[in-house]
Amino acid sequence: MHMRMEGKAVSTTLRKANGELWVDLSGEKTFSAMKESLVKQLNSLDDYLLGTLVSIDVGSKQLTEKQVREIEDILLDHGLHLKGFMNSKSNSRDTANSDKPVLEGMPEYAETLLLCRHLRSGQKVYSNGNLVILGDINPGAEVVARGNILVMGSLRGIAHAGAGGDTSAVVAAYRLNPTQIRIANHITRPPDGEVVTNSDPEVARIRDGKVIIEKLKI
Amino acid sequence: MKGKVIVITSGKGGVGKTTTTANLGTALAMMGDKVVLVDTDIGLRNLDVVMGLENRIVFDIVDVVNGHCKLKQALIRDKRFESLYLLPAAQTKDKTAVTPHQMKNLTNELRKEFDIILVDCPAGIEQGFRNAIAGADDAIIVATPEVSAVRDADRIIGLLEAAGLTRARLIINRLRKSMVKRGDMMDIDDIIDILSVELLGVVPEDEMIIVSTNKGEPAVLDNNSRAGGAYRRIARRIMGEEVPLFQGDEAGNLVERFKKMIKLAR
Repeated sequence: MHMRMEGKAVSTTLRKANGELWVDLSGEKTFSAMKESLVKQLNSLDDYLLGTLVSIDVGSKQLTEKQVREIEDILLDHGLHLKGFMNSKSNSRDTANSDKPVLEGMPEYAETLLLCRHLRSGQKVYSNGNLVILGDINPGAEVVARGNILVMGSLRGIAHAGAGGDTSAVVAAYRLNPTQIRIANHITRPPDGEVVTNSDPEVARIRDGKVIIEKLKI
Repeated sequence: MKGKVIVITSGKGGVGKTTTTANLGTALAMMGDKVVLVDTDIGLRNLDVVMGLENRIVFDIVDVVNGHCKLKQALIRDKRFESLYLLPAAQTKDKTAVTPHQMKNLTNELRKEFDIILVDCPAGIEQGFRNAIAGADDAIIVATPEVSAVRDADRIIGLLEAAGLTRARLIINRLRKSMVKRGDMMDIDDIIDILSVELLGVVPEDEMIIVSTNKGEPAVLDNNSRAGGAYRRIARRIMGEEVPLFQGDEAGNLVERFKKMIKLAR
C-alpha cells in the first residue's frame, strides 16, 4: 500500500486490494470531471503491474457505451484493464432503463438454462424455465422451454417456448429462420415457397391468438 | 510411432465415402506414409472393388476380430504402392458381427504398424457407424452440396461430438461450379454456415471418377483428373501442409486476373 503524491495534492480515492485497483469517482458531478480525476489519479500512481484490473465506483451515474469506451481507453493508456463499474449511490431512481423489461409482457422464470454450443440435427434440449443458446439451432434440432427461448445465433430448427402452456412466452433469435415455432399450444411455420433473408434479430410471440414475428428492438 | 485413426463418414449414402477413402489412402501412400484402409461396411463391401483388390481377398475383418486368422493374413497389399494396405469387410455377415470394443482393439493393433488408418464408415447411424468411429482419433465428414446430405452430415457431426470426436473436418464432394453460379446448388459458404466445421477440401464433380472406380484405379493416380488433384491436395492438408483449397486456375484466378490488370495498367 504505497502511493506517492506528486506536485499539488490530488485528492486520491484510489486504493489497491487483492492485486486490483479501486477508484472512487462517485464524488465527481460530471463525466468530464470524472475523466480528469481518473487521469490525475492514474498519473500519480507509480508502481503497479501492467494489466491490472480496475474497478470504478461511478456513484449514481449510468455511463453510456461511448463513455465506458472512453474510460477503457484512458485505462489502456496506462496499461490497465477495466474490470467493471459499481454504483455506490444508486438510491436515486433516475436510472433510465434498468428495471423496465425490454420486451413488455415477457414472463419471468427463475430458472434459465444456458447452452454454449450448436444444436445439430437430431439433438433436443429441454429447459424447465428459460433457455438461452449461444450457438445455432440447425434444421432437425429442437429446443423446448417452459419459459422463453433466446437464440444468440441462427434458429433454423424447431423452437417451442411456453411448453407448459404459457402463451406469453417468446422466442427471440439473432437470425430467425425456423422450421417451426411453437408457443404454448400454437404451432406456426414459415409460409411455403417464401425465402426470407432477414438480417435483424427478431422475436416471435402470440398476439391476438396468433404467432407474430417482429423486429427485436432493444 | 503411433498411427492416427481417421474415420471417413457421412450419414447419407452415395456421397462418396468409399471413393474418398480410396483416393485419400492412395494419395497418402504416394506421399510415402504407411497407410491402411479399413472397410467397416460389413455386408456391403465396396472398398476392395474401388481399389481393384477384390480378387485378392482371403480373410476379412470379421475373421480377424473373431480370431479365425491373424491380422497380417487379412491385410491385402495394394498392387501399386508397397506402403498401402486394405483390410476388407466381410460380405456374408451383417453389421453386428463386430462390436465397437473389438473395433477399438483392432485399430489399436493397426496403430502399431501404420502411420495412417483410414476407416471407411457405412451409411447410417446404427451399429456399423458406432463400430467405425469406436477407435477413431479424427473424423472426416463427406457431404455433397445437397440439403439432404448436409442435414445428415449435421446429424453425424452431433453424434461424433457426443462420442468425443469434436474436431470433425468436412470434404464437400461433387461440387458443380456452374450450378453454384446459377444459384441451383448450395455453395460452400452456405454449407459451412450450417455445419460450422473446418473445411478440409472441395472435390469438383468429375465424370471420370466413375470410370476410375469401375476400373479399380483411384483417380489420384491420374494426373489429369480434376477430382484426383483435389484429393491429392486434401491428403497434403491432412498431413498438416498448408495447401490452398483450390488450384490456381479455379479460385486463384481472381488474384491472377488482378495481377494481370495491374500489369496492363503499367
